[in-house]
Amino acid sequence: MVDGTAPGDLAGEPAAAERPRLDRADPATYPEWFRNKKPRANLIVARWVPIALVGLPVLVLFCIVVYPTVWMFYHALHDTNMMRLFQGNWNFIGLENFATVLESARFGDSIVHLGIYLTFGACLQVILGSILALILYELVKSNFLRVVFLVAMVLPMMLPPSIVGVLWKFLLTPSNGAINQALLNLGLIDQHIEWFNAGLSLWTIIIADVWNWTALPLLIVYSGRVSLPPAVYEAARVDGAGAWTTLRRITLPMLKEVIAIAFIVRFMDAFKFVDLVFIMTSGGPAQSSELPAYIAFQRGIREFAIGEAAAYAILIFAVSAVLIILFLKYLKKVLKAQGFA
Amino acid sequence: MSKANYRLVKFLFLALMGLWLLITLFPFYWQIITAFKSAAETNRTIPTFWPEVWHPQNFVSVFAEASNFDALVDSFIIATGNTLASLLLGTLAGYAFARFPRQAGGENLAFWVLSNRMFPPVAVVLPMFFLFDATPWGTDSHLSLIILYLVFNMPLATWLMMVFFRDTPRELEEAAYLDGYTPLRAFFKVTLPLVLPGMISVAMLCWIFAWNEYLFANLLVGTDVRTFTIVIPTFTHGSQTLWNLQMAFSLIAMLPPVILFILLRRYMVRGLSLGVVKG
Repeated sequence: MVDGTAPGDLAGEPAAAERPRLDRADPATYPEWFRNKKPRANLIVARWVPIALVGLPVLVLFCIVVYPTVWMFYHALHDTNMMRLFQGNWNFIGLENFATVLESARFGDSIVHLGIYLTFGACLQVILGSILALILYELVKSNFLRVVFLVAMVLPMMLPPSIVGVLWKFLLTPSNGAINQALLNLGLIDQHIEWFNAGLSLWTIIIADVWNWTALPLLIVYSGRVSLPPAVYEAARVDGAGAWTTLRRITLPMLKEVIAIAFIVRFMDAFKFVDLVFIMTSGGPAQSSELPAYIAFQRGIREFAIGEAAAYAILIFAVSAVLIILFLKYLKKVLKAQGFA
Repeated sequence: MSKANYRLVKFLFLALMGLWLLITLFPFYWQIITAFKSAAETNRTIPTFWPEVWHPQNFVSVFAEASNFDALVDSFIIATGNTLASLLLGTLAGYAFARFPRQAGGENLAFWVLSNRMFPPVAVVLPMFFLFDATPWGTDSHLSLIILYLVFNMPLATWLMMVFFRDTPRELEEAAYLDGYTPLRAFFKVTLPLVLPGMISVAMLCWIFAWNEYLFANLLVGTDVRTFTIVIPTFTHGSQTLWNLQMAFSLIAMLPPVILFILLRRYMVRGLSLGVVKG
């Protein structure tokens, strides 16, 4: 980003060729008044205007993001529960909340669930999404069909989570759901699958989530593929590279960062993923489908253990912060490459 | 790879995509036909894959309960209010970031603003609950959700508006200054009309996210104000879920975001989807 335009640029480029060459590094080139001049921002508006323009949104973010985070940090270190909060009487207990959380079996189980969700939810979505995006771009030649398929495949992403939740709850109803009936008709199973019992409820959520969010990595990778320069592919074709070589040696290496972004975005979502759990299983049966973010809400809002909920939130926040920093790093790279920033 | 082999691989890949399309569209198909079934037909032990009797009256009887319609109105008020607020704040900040990057805090501040979009809601909702409780309008109100949704919509609006302002040449504004325009007038008469199409697309995106939001609404409102997202999971009559009405209502409710999305598809693919397009 060039900040400010030198007066010479306004006059137009052609004049530049006829101008005498100046040695800009030599202070003697510049007149006395210019050397004594204080460096000043090249601003057409008053100095406070940009600060005010940015300050207002930043102030709002301080109120709705920074303040709550600080509040959570503070209460994570105190023995706050709902009653103590209203009485305004809570005591400092150091890291005890974190110890309680880390030692509880509930937390351990939820980490295992999160691991399953990350592997078969998030990773699968990115791999599947990337494959689908490349199939769509490389193998579908008609422009119209491409758009139609893309819109169809991205459609689930535009649904509110509550509709996705009830829709899949309905489709997977054990006794008379569409999926069980379809599988029966196809002869793949001989009795109804109990999708919502303790062994399967987490997988049921993962199925719904894969349906819902595979579209996001698909969209990310597809848009990355669209913005790759065609000239490179022309050169590869001239050199006699086949489709497979082109994919392995050109497309995938050039999409490395974009795919990394897709992974990071899905991982970030995984750590705060909670709405389908709320709608489809409420963490049950017997806490078999609880994820850390869900327990944080449950402890804080239904079970009134605010200190503990805050400890959960801080743990999630810490992981998210690392992922967000990673994400921004890759995003900067990709944006630079695509000429946005 | 031989020619025949290549054809086979190509066919297999296309078949994979076809299968995925089928998987993607089947739930929509099921949703639509269920919305047209009678209550008795949805509760059969062996579900029918095509409605025996078409019941379009479902779409009317959903609104027999007035609270369902009110939920759509509440969602609309919240989504629209939040979109306007995000767009106003986002346009101001985006303009400052694009035109005066150094004076406005630089690239790092811009990236910090964006990072708030990815912020885990667990760390936000509990303190905000108590904060809103202390305000005159309370937790269970439109305003509390309008403000809270700024968490994810304002960073998005700021960032996208910044990109759009960067794309409009600064020289046009400078020409306006030379013609004696004040910066304010130049902004409204020259720059704003140029970014208007971008602004509309940002508004649509923000509106979709606010309309679809479930988590904050579930935890903050529920008595005086009910968004449709928290009404949909509660379509029960006794112990039975009224699937046909639920599906009819969700079809109506998902229509606006789907239509807006189809209008927006070009922006989605044009690089705006880099993880920025996610609530």
